[in-house]
Amino acid sequence: MSRVEAKKPSLCTCELLTKEIISKSLSVLREIVTSCYGPSGRLKQLHNGVGGSICTTSSSSFLFSNLSVTHPILKILTTSVQNHVSRFSDCGLFTAILCFNLVENFQRLNLSTATVIKISKHLLSLCTDYLNSESCGCRISIDFSNMKTLLCLVQSILTSKPACLLNKKEADHISTLILKAFLLTIPEKAKDHAILGKSIIIPLKDERVMNSTVLPGIVIEMPEVQLMRKFPIKKLPSDVLKVALFCISMSGDISDPGDGTLVISYGVSLESAVLDQLLNLGNQLISDHVDIVVCQKVIHPALKQYLHQHHIITIDRVGISLMEPLCEMTGAQTIGSLSLISPTSYGYVKDLCSTNFGSKHYFHLIPNDSTVCSLLLCNRNETAWNELKLACQTAQHILQLTIRQPLALLGGGCTETHLASFIRHTGINVPECILKVNDCTQTEYKIVTNAFCNALQSVACSLEHDKGKILTDRKYGHFWSIQPDFPSNVKWQDLVSKCGCGLYGNQEELNWCLLQDIHSFAPLNSSVQQATNSTGHLTLDCFTAKLHGLQVAVETASLILDLSYIIEDKN
Amino acid sequence: MVMAYINISTRKHIGLQQLSSLTETGRGFLGPVKSSKFIVGEGSRESVLAGSTVRLLESLDLTSSVGQLLHEAVQSQKTSYGTGTNTLLSLAGAWSAAALRCLQQDIPISVIVSVMSEGLKSCGEEVVALQIPLHDVLGSAGDARSYPWLGTLSVIPSPLVQIPAEIPWIRRRRDGNDVSSPLSPPAFSSGHSSEFSSRFSSFSSQSVAKGNKTAPQPLQTNPIPNSHSRKSRLSHSRHFNRAESGSYRTSDEGQLDACVHPCNDLVRLAVGLSHGDHSSMALVEAAVRCQYQNAHLRRNCTVPFRFDVSKISTCCLPGVPESFSCILPGYITLVSMDHVTVIRELQNRPLRVALIDGDFSENYRHLGFNGLGNVKTQLESLTYPDKMWLDRILEILIRLNVNLVLVRGSVSEGVLERCMHNNLLIIGPVSHHVLQDFAEVTGAAQVTYATQLNEECVGSDVYVSLWRAGQLNANEVNNKVAVLVKAEGVLLATAVLASPVAAQMQAKEDRFWTCAYRMYHAVVDEKVFLGGGAVEVLCLTHLQMLVEQSQKKMDQDCSARLHMTSSWMASSQALYRPAVLQALADGWHRYLSSVVYNTGTCSSETEASTFIQNFLQKTTSSGCPLLYLLKEYNKVSSEILNSGIPSALKEASRVYDVVTPKREAWRRALDLVLLVLQTDAEIITGAEYTQLNSQNFNELLLL
Repeated sequence: MSRVEAKKPSLCTCELLTKEIISKSLSVLREIVTSCYGPSGRLKQLHNGVGGSICTTSSSSFLFSNLSVTHPILKILTTSVQNHVSRFSDCGLFTAILCFNLVENFQRLNLSTATVIKISKHLLSLCTDYLNSESCGCRISIDFSNMKTLLCLVQSILTSKPACLLNKKEADHISTLILKAFLLTIPEKAKDHAILGKSIIIPLKDERVMNSTVLPGIVIEMPEVQLMRKFPIKKLPSDVLKVALFCISMSGDISDPGDGTLVISYGVSLESAVLDQLLNLGNQLISDHVDIVVCQKVIHPALKQYLHQHHIITIDRVGISLMEPLCEMTGAQTIGSLSLISPTSYGYVKDLCSTNFGSKHYFHLIPNDSTVCSLLLCNRNETAWNELKLACQTAQHILQLTIRQPLALLGGGCTETHLASFIRHTGINVPECILKVNDCTQTEYKIVTNAFCNALQSVACSLEHDKGKILTDRKYGHFWSIQPDFPSNVKWQDLVSKCGCGLYGNQEELNWCLLQDIHSFAPLNSSVQQATNSTGHLTLDCFTAKLHGLQVAVETASLILDLSYIIEDKN
Repeated sequence: MVMAYINISTRKHIGLQQLSSLTETGRGFLGPVKSSKFIVGEGSRESVLAGSTVRLLESLDLTSSVGQLLHEAVQSQKTSYGTGTNTLLSLAGAWSAAALRCLQQDIPISVIVSVMSEGLKSCGEEVVALQIPLHDVLGSAGDARSYPWLGTLSVIPSPLVQIPAEIPWIRRRRDGNDVSSPLSPPAFSSGHSSEFSSRFSSFSSQSVAKGNKTAPQPLQTNPIPNSHSRKSRLSHSRHFNRAESGSYRTSDEGQLDACVHPCNDLVRLAVGLSHGDHSSMALVEAAVRCQYQNAHLRRNCTVPFRFDVSKISTCCLPGVPESFSCILPGYITLVSMDHVTVIRELQNRPLRVALIDGDFSENYRHLGFNGLGNVKTQLESLTYPDKMWLDRILEILIRLNVNLVLVRGSVSEGVLERCMHNNLLIIGPVSHHVLQDFAEVTGAAQVTYATQLNEECVGSDVYVSLWRAGQLNANEVNNKVAVLVKAEGVLLATAVLASPVAAQMQAKEDRFWTCAYRMYHAVVDEKVFLGGGAVEVLCLTHLQMLVEQSQKKMDQDCSARLHMTSSWMASSQALYRPAVLQALADGWHRYLSSVVYNTGTCSSETEASTFIQNFLQKTTSSGCPLLYLLKEYNKVSSEILNSGIPSALKEASRVYDVVTPKREAWRRALDLVLLVLQTDAEIITGAEYTQLNSQNFNELLLL
């Protein structure tokens, strides 16, 4: 019997951003995100309050995937940041903070939303044009024959996540490993289009970071029982080992039994019937001279025993994530049936050996000529390991993006302040035609430009968490920080040491001033490339990720500002 | 769904306060004289006796997130090293208090983080000078116990421990039969048995295994290492690398060498690592000898002997007099009294063994088997399928002439009963290490199902016997009997641990494992620290020196630190460096005070602290802290032994510490503190309004 209930009316909310509850939630969320930003960012403990595992992090992807925000406006923001992170891995916090700043700054303006959005979109296009232009003063091109800049790029990512708990030596070691793993994924003989291989991260928790290492091929943890079995590998004349790769369960289950009841007469054992089928399969593998059987799921112990007796090595429970790299490395096709194996589906490896890391034992599948490698990643505890793994994945992704577009932006806040100076400078004299297109007056344009640039600058200022004062210089428009209680009689030059990205030092008189006092000037944008060669360590950001983050932030902010009603179905 | 957000204010960091108070309880576990804690459940009136950090944290209801992180860190240290958890807990407490004091002085968090981790790193480099190389200690494992009384010293040879004048050293009578019964009789010679030494001399350097040198190392008879290894060891010492430290003359180097005595003897090592727990360490030492002898039997010495801590199992006998504790080769476990007849029947003859890696019951299926869906069998007769399976299994076992089955999982009652009637002994559950070791020596292969058994899976020449049946009184009450399973060449050694007080059983087992892991890591590292507080004192003097140095001149090279590549932190670091380094030193000082206080020679922790302060002053004013420390520790050892013991043994009595586990415990403790320090908010996800503690409600921000 069903009961009919009267439908509740939908709830409509207007004047969204001025509502106290929304603005309060926005500011709390902004505080959370802002305080996480940068190498000295503060960490957040995420847990469910009832004894679940604790995640200590300052990464946007952990933060946003764990936050359960309810309000639609917050949801728009978190979803667009998450989308950005899922595509580019990096610059999630940058995107979120910029978006928050833009929403807040634009909302305070007494201008029509349409005008603000129009002008901000125009400003965005100015930014992207500038960043994409050859004359851009805050980007450098990456030379893949020079490891130094690539290392800087990777190190910048690792050091921006303090929850990884790395010291300098460890950060250097991991950066080198990431780079090494990345280079192993580049095919040696590139034809017209090269396909990058894969580097797999193998967890090794409770170990010292310095024990991390990179190996070519694939490393799979070995169950204890298999330890005692020696490796009865017999080499084929061709000096390779034949591999069969199964993606179905070989545990003796009936695959897909359906919903109905199966009735069998007494004396018939379904289990042994399935096992017989498995053993038949074993016979085929033996007659096909297979050396190694790898299964994504479980292999029945009896089948294992049978195969071992015929000197075939079994590796089971490898998990779905390893299947694709295994196919790629061995050239095998996954076998999805227990009855029929096409002889073409077998693959080959050069060798198989066993290695130990920490207290664990591993199979090491060594490829003939392949772009698959394993990064054994160690860290002392669970939460630091998770953060480190995320940072490594980000770095690997960033390297892939960079090889496609070999550019990097100056990090440490310098790109933001430089870009803001540039936009401010272009805003001094706006051609009439632009005002016409955007349907606004010169004053309106200036107000929005100011709000936009302030938002960009406060992203840079979010890097500072210890009340330090932020300066900028009137030559390059870079980001500089000084101690909070600076003596008044000292020259700026004696207080600053290096700019945020590490490109410039205090040797040259750069005409510094407090960031909030800055007026427009034309930032110098030549000679960046030359300067990079002479400096030691640089903080760099991924060009592609940051550019996309900038676009997402501006567009999401526009979307949020543009919302006038929320209609909720309360049923 | 609601998400709550608690802001942690910086000046009074709640997380650090929690960490500091949580660890306070564990300080009694430090040092050789430990004080246990009773933990009483408020509602249930149950009580637990906790004698170590791990047990304490297991029994506490750690609801706070910081508590959970602490528990995680301690567990992680335990799983990786099996020792060092007490150090971790105490230092985490001491350093969280130190970090709190830094915050109160308005030192930026980033500076605290970077200076503290840098300070620890620098100390880690400094203490390398106190590492004592182990030369071929396992080569002497085959020897008799050379100095039987050394293990009975109850005085800790450390200048930090004031020794009562009237008792220079105490001799306790040892029940020699227990520990060394399977070994050759004790002898007083300090020389090696040349047969063993020459066979195992390659072990100490491992050069043969690595293929760097093809010729085996000559027999190490000289206790002082050759000049090459001395040089390389000392090059790690900062005192001799620093150009400006002109006060250290080269003649100091020679003096230092004379003060670092390598350890080349298992007994000395065991005594040094026992940290006051001689009875447990004596068992560990016996286990090493036991493994050595069995490895010798098995492999004909082609592979250098390695002490394998995983090849040790324990068998606890609560309520049985202490004198039953011993080490036996093979596997001992308690089985039900019902098995006595079967065991008597099988005793003294070679048995055939099957190894089952799973449960021994009809319904057991291997991991990953999800069943066959919805299957219904039409019953046509009334035979019970249960019996059929058992009959089949028995038939297989009898056909293969198996007398003994070792099972990793549980054994069903029906199987036990039927097998007993057929003179089949089933023992389980046993650990996979046991199965593995028996598989290696007997030629048996582990199977998941008994139906898989065939001729090739069955091992042979295993012996079972009853162990001291009828003598273990309290045990007979529990209707259990100890059975010993042995095979020729089995590496496995079982430590029988007896304790008349049942409540102490767990603590006794824990202490045994701690000693075993200490020994294991010392052997793996091939080096130990000079113990008894020497390492910590050196760290303290080193930090003191760093503080003075950074007060004198601004360190220019700190701009390369990790957390602050370019911000103002780098330049202002010099300003705060002394304070932060001092805080780090204070943490260590507090740790050391607890250790000294727990030795029972000081009446209060303040007295202990003053005592350490005085000792530190003497060490620092000596000009070369390292040399002073080495000399002082030598002096104390010889003072203890001065009463009529051959002078050759003067360096015999020393306290040693494990190297890697100790340094890792330091690092993990600091990591935990820095992780909590850098956390400014707690985000509780998925909580309902009602679940949130109403007391804290006004601190919460809801999203």
